[in-house]
Amino acid sequence: MVDLSSDLGFIKLKNPVITASGTFGYAEEFQDFFNLDILGAFVLKGIYKDPKPGNSPPRIHETASGLLNSIGLPGPGAKELQKIVKKIHKLTKTPIIINVCGDTDEEYIEVAEIFDKMDEVTMLELNISCPNIKMGGKCPAQDEKHTYKLVNQIKHITSKPLIVKLSPNVNDISSIAISAEEGGADCISLVNTFLGMAVDLDSKKPVFKNLFAGLSGPAIKPLALKLIWEVVQSVHIPVIGIGGIFSGKDVLEFILTGASAVQIGTINIVEPSASVRIIKEIEDIMIKSNIKSLDEIKGKLKI
Amino acid sequence: MKEERCFVKENKKINENYSLMKIKSEYISKNSKPGNFVMVKVSETFDPLLRRPFGIMKSEPPFIWLYFEVVGKGTKLLSNFKKNDKISILGPLGNSLPEFKNKKILMIAGGRGIVPIFCSVHTYSQHNNIFLAYGAKSEKDLNLYEEIKSMKLKKLFLYTDDGSVGKKGFVTSDIKKIINNNNIDITISCGPESMFKTLVKKIEHIRTKNYVSMEALMGCGFGICHSCAVKTKNGDYKQVCTDGPIFKMEDIKW
Repeated sequence: MVDLSSDLGFIKLKNPVITASGTFGYAEEFQDFFNLDILGAFVLKGIYKDPKPGNSPPRIHETASGLLNSIGLPGPGAKELQKIVKKIHKLTKTPIIINVCGDTDEEYIEVAEIFDKMDEVTMLELNISCPNIKMGGKCPAQDEKHTYKLVNQIKHITSKPLIVKLSPNVNDISSIAISAEEGGADCISLVNTFLGMAVDLDSKKPVFKNLFAGLSGPAIKPLALKLIWEVVQSVHIPVIGIGGIFSGKDVLEFILTGASAVQIGTINIVEPSASVRIIKEIEDIMIKSNIKSLDEIKGKLKI
Repeated sequence: MKEERCFVKENKKINENYSLMKIKSEYISKNSKPGNFVMVKVSETFDPLLRRPFGIMKSEPPFIWLYFEVVGKGTKLLSNFKKNDKISILGPLGNSLPEFKNKKILMIAGGRGIVPIFCSVHTYSQHNNIFLAYGAKSEKDLNLYEEIKSMKLKKLFLYTDDGSVGKKGFVTSDIKKIINNNNIDITISCGPESMFKTLVKKIEHIRTKNYVSMEALMGCGFGICHSCAVKTKNGDYKQVCTDGPIFKMEDIKW
């Protein structure tokens, strides 16, 4: 028997596999494919206070081993999501993580307050990559002071563990991670998507109306690993690694680099039952390599 | 809905651009309804990354048939699958066509839009009178012609852009006349966006009930990624994969 559990300090997950926001819908869609109880945790699609329609199509563009998206976080709004959360909680006892979004700091706080009151919710993940309408579209993740202030405000109004999800589109990710830690984050998750661009030769126009879009998938894995390594070296709180994970081997590489757990994203779109396969692969590799627990290899990269 | 490991039974090149694939699929073949589609993994690798959506052309358990046009990297790879190759298929997906009885139904197909139409003709022809208007670029682009001729159709209206077979013109050319002369109750159409745009202008305000089967750039196929959004008349977005692919023509903002 191998021990797949992942201890984040404030919670012990049965295994390190968490499904990422925006790639796992509202969880119930995945019931046809597997029992939700097998997951370490899951993050629901990012939520704003009010309903959002999302961006004008096209919303995706496939690249070599990657996917550019400009979906625009469509959603039913916080009130409606509360009802959905209650329903999901009846289906599974797997920890539910709410991905908190906001056009303004005030909106982030309002959304966090709404879900702080719900016993069905285990943790909050602060999505600081939302364009801020009062800051000329700049997102909090791009500014140390803004990150600190926002995290600190949220931490004051919630008793739930707070994960802060970082954007890779910054000059110095360590300083942002440190700001989040100083602001009171219990955990850091990274990376969100890398900004990229696609153009159409026929129309001579950019593919996306917003010009830039977020790149995910296996193409970003090495870029993500590098940033995770940097953040692990800089903070004392646990780190959840995200970026192009498609296999159990990928998961263990992230753990070796120092992540305590991982989020799997784009693979859920391609292979809805991927979680089952990935958890099995982790177990198989651990048995084969005589690794008894994840702690044995966590952050044990030989430099 | 299931992610099913299936086997290719036959993959036949019909002509330069089109292939017909027969797949053994126990679950999907038994559970699919006319109008449904599937998402097919065209490669075991990450490139291309996403599955590709295809309308189910025919379903006779334990087999389904996909009829596809080679338009890019994904469909090119799919056309290279050999007999007994494993293939991962997600389905059946999407909504299906409503049931009708004793109606006069006009099916309107442009180009590869014939595929989902083909499937529904089979179902509807048992209890309804089916009329088919089908248009393609030229004779060599006319797909499933032999099969169409053997179907239980009340009337067939054939068009090619160059007049090489059937009437010269577009499938939409005489559509109003066809509807009126034959007292059509319902239309069901599938084709490229340009066909829909013309069609909507011509028939939106006449008395028939009009349904469309839509294509869209799709990510997951089961409602989680929100990629395949289409705008509706009231300004909302609907998802082609879960709210569709069948929509009432009047609901969509064309």
